[in-house]
Amino acid sequence: MDVVTLIWLYILSLVRWLLHEAPLQVINFIKSLPTLIPELLKWLWDFIWFNFKPLAQIIVIPGLAFILLFAMIAVWFERKFLARAMLRIGPYYCGKRSGWLQVIADFLKLFFKEFVIPDDVEKALFLAAPVLLPTIPALAITLIPFDSNWVLFDAGGLSLPVFLAIAGLAPVIPIFAGWAANNKYTIIGSFRTAYLYVSGEIPLVICAAATALLAGSLDLVDIVEAQRPLWFAIPQFIGFLVFFVGLILEAERTPFDVPTAETELVIGWRTEFSGVLFGFTMMAEYVSFLGWTLLFIVLYLGGYLGPSLLGVPLYDHIFWMLLKLAVIVVIVVLIRTVYPRLRLDQTLRLGWNYLMPLALLNLFITIILKWGLMI
Amino acid sequence: MTEPEVKPEVMRISWGPQHPMSGQTRILIDVDGEVVRRIIADIGFTHRGIEKILEKRTFIQGIVPIERMVMADTANIALGYVQAVEEALGIEVPERAKWIRSLICEMGRINSHLYAFGLQVECTGYFPAVFLWTTVDREVLLDLFEKLTGARWSYSFFIPGGVRADLPEGFRDEVKRAVKYLRRRFQDYWDAMVENPLFEMRNRGVGILSREDAIRLGATGPVLRGSGVDMDVRRDEPYAAYGDLDFKVITEKEGDCLARLKVRFHEIEQSLNIMEQIADEIPGGPVRTKVPLFPRSKPGVEALSRVETARGELGVHIFTDGGMKPYRVKINSPTLRNMYVFERLAELDKVLVADLPVILYSIDPWYLDCDR
Amino acid sequence: MPARSEEELVEELKREHPELLVEAVIHRSKRVSIVAKREKILELARLLRDKYGFTHPVSAGAVDYIKEGRMQMIYYLMNPESRFMLMLRVDLPRDNPRMPSMTQVWEAMSFHEREAWEMFGIDFEGHPNLTHLLLPPDWRGGYPLRKDFKGEGVTP
Repeated sequence: MDVVTLIWLYILSLVRWLLHEAPLQVINFIKSLPTLIPELLKWLWDFIWFNFKPLAQIIVIPGLAFILLFAMIAVWFERKFLARAMLRIGPYYCGKRSGWLQVIADFLKLFFKEFVIPDDVEKALFLAAPVLLPTIPALAITLIPFDSNWVLFDAGGLSLPVFLAIAGLAPVIPIFAGWAANNKYTIIGSFRTAYLYVSGEIPLVICAAATALLAGSLDLVDIVEAQRPLWFAIPQFIGFLVFFVGLILEAERTPFDVPTAETELVIGWRTEFSGVLFGFTMMAEYVSFLGWTLLFIVLYLGGYLGPSLLGVPLYDHIFWMLLKLAVIVVIVVLIRTVYPRLRLDQTLRLGWNYLMPLALLNLFITIILKWGLMI
Repeated sequence: MTEPEVKPEVMRISWGPQHPMSGQTRILIDVDGEVVRRIIADIGFTHRGIEKILEKRTFIQGIVPIERMVMADTANIALGYVQAVEEALGIEVPERAKWIRSLICEMGRINSHLYAFGLQVECTGYFPAVFLWTTVDREVLLDLFEKLTGARWSYSFFIPGGVRADLPEGFRDEVKRAVKYLRRRFQDYWDAMVENPLFEMRNRGVGILSREDAIRLGATGPVLRGSGVDMDVRRDEPYAAYGDLDFKVITEKEGDCLARLKVRFHEIEQSLNIMEQIADEIPGGPVRTKVPLFPRSKPGVEALSRVETARGELGVHIFTDGGMKPYRVKINSPTLRNMYVFERLAELDKVLVADLPVILYSIDPWYLDCDR
Repeated sequence: MPARSEEELVEELKREHPELLVEAVIHRSKRVSIVAKREKILELARLLRDKYGFTHPVSAGAVDYIKEGRMQMIYYLMNPESRFMLMLRVDLPRDNPRMPSMTQVWEAMSFHEREAWEMFGIDFEGHPNLTHLLLPPDWRGGYPLRKDFKGEGVTP
């Protein structure tokens, strides 16, 4: 038998099955439906009920929706606030006077815009970098506790070092992105990023270590719980200030937005990105800012602690967390309106000459304090 | 311009003309890491041949094209040309017209310096506030211009033999009110810029030009005075009503970007004083003498007129051949001189990439002026 | 060195260095014009800078006198002490405009000489970088500020 005959036989058997057996099976299935559907629904309900917490954590808080919404609201607020400082109105036509739809419109525009991949770029890295950029700080955000048992990623009592380790990966991506784009502006921008992160991150880690020492634990929940009598912002005042400057530095915001200095380097290592790739790099800035700010709140501002307002402890805790976040965002945007950008050498001098010794001083004070308490 | 060779140890960056801060010029920089080793200014992107155009226009028609040299400061530029024409043709100007000319020139100077502030602040990355504040405060002056001349920007108000119109009614009071408002606003600028520690860090000790170098390299205007050289055409060679007015020539010793900024700042204060003096003491009389529409020149006359514009000394040298048009007009533009200083600054002082826009905008370049 | 007034400068130049000058006149107050001999211009320029204190270069430009068959290169100079404008002129033959570059004396004349080179075709000997300044590098249209420039078919 040749192939053609085989195929014909196969088709014929299919037709026979369709005519004789298929209808019977369909009828049987329809007959059994009334018993099946409740079973299916019950299974779905069980699944949702059983996994409600992780699902809510992944989707709502501190997951995807929270991060995206934060980026959008922060962008909107920054634009409106800066516009006020510049004697302008800001986004006005999309979404009544507040212009809140403008952010969504811009996002859609960036998303559907054609993105250009220049010749002679390292294509794989060039495309991977914008995707990885917001992902790494978002991963770190999963470690942040919004309640004592509302933690998405339980690192087994080591969440502070894991956070710092994940966040420490972030600077590698801009360096690769700048190198892959094969442009002189991006290469200068990416090297500036490297310098900046090194000078900013070490004081941050030392400060975080001091708080861990004071709380006697490396777990973020324990650190928050240790602040029930007094927020660490007071006993750790030097560390509090150093961490605040360091978080602005890490998030590459004004006055430390040296790597993306618009007036010198077009926009630094982002120069060659366009369309949705550029959108991702812009979002990454806000996500990394969000990550460090949340850690700042957890370490110094009592995390989710606060007087009860809503009755349910979980909602209270999330509310306090968001309120503290909003206050910090307002302060950081305010700083942007009143200060120019520092030069790279001035930024590095600030990092190594001031932040670093202060962070060490803070650590020693903490050790002496702790030692004194133990005696 | 043909590009010079690049040395192997440096990276050549083409900074502009497609760049957020470069403006209509291209600057080639050789960088070694963050340090700029060499600056090469590639000007000429806005060359329109104004000197040639002026040869094809009659004396009065020439006022319009020459104003296109510096739009923020058209009064001073036009005054340079008009004075040269007057000297070449032997036209007398009535006293009141001279005072009105001085008034408009000082308003133009403030207008231009406000723009310069805004840009110098913006290029340090301090973009939100000051640039738009200055733009808004400029409106006060533009409204005055509109009231007096009928136009907000290029007003072609000076003509050989005087000015086109007298001051409108109540104009002197409005000038005084504007002066009072601007004085109050300048305190804000001083607080936001010079008193701002981070802004000071970015500007102090950046792009230092010593007194000797400023003279040797032919700097002019606030760049020259910021290096401590006491030169101002308004005082050295009084034109218009400046001989009768009381003002100081501002100098600063440091020669860095902050010094240039401070010179502009105090010059605005002096300009406001001058505006007040003119509003108080302007003499009466006619504002123009009768000049034929197509005046004919004597052959072989030449006249060089110098005026102090906001960017420095402008010289207009007119040669005549007996016709109704100038035979040749040579314009000594201030920005061209300052651009050469900018080009040499990388050799005189250590310049970082981040300092480049600050230094460039501290010389207040106007590329149309540079390229003519 | 003492700052000289216009009259003193002209008198002293005429008295001490007559071999360098063609003429020296005062146009009006604060305008002095010196016409130099083309072969001696460099010597005169050094003298003006070092002895008479004209260290501040202002500008330079040329005029094309087509009927007389000459071009005149004018250097605008200033003494920061006495502050009058000195115009140092040199007449060049129109068919072969060629002169030593003043950048050897005043470095800042570089831009102005490049402009005169591309606009008038004056050749400056010893200029370090005689390339197009305002015109595009592939300009083939002749010399725009000469009087016989027609401006036709010049697009590069």
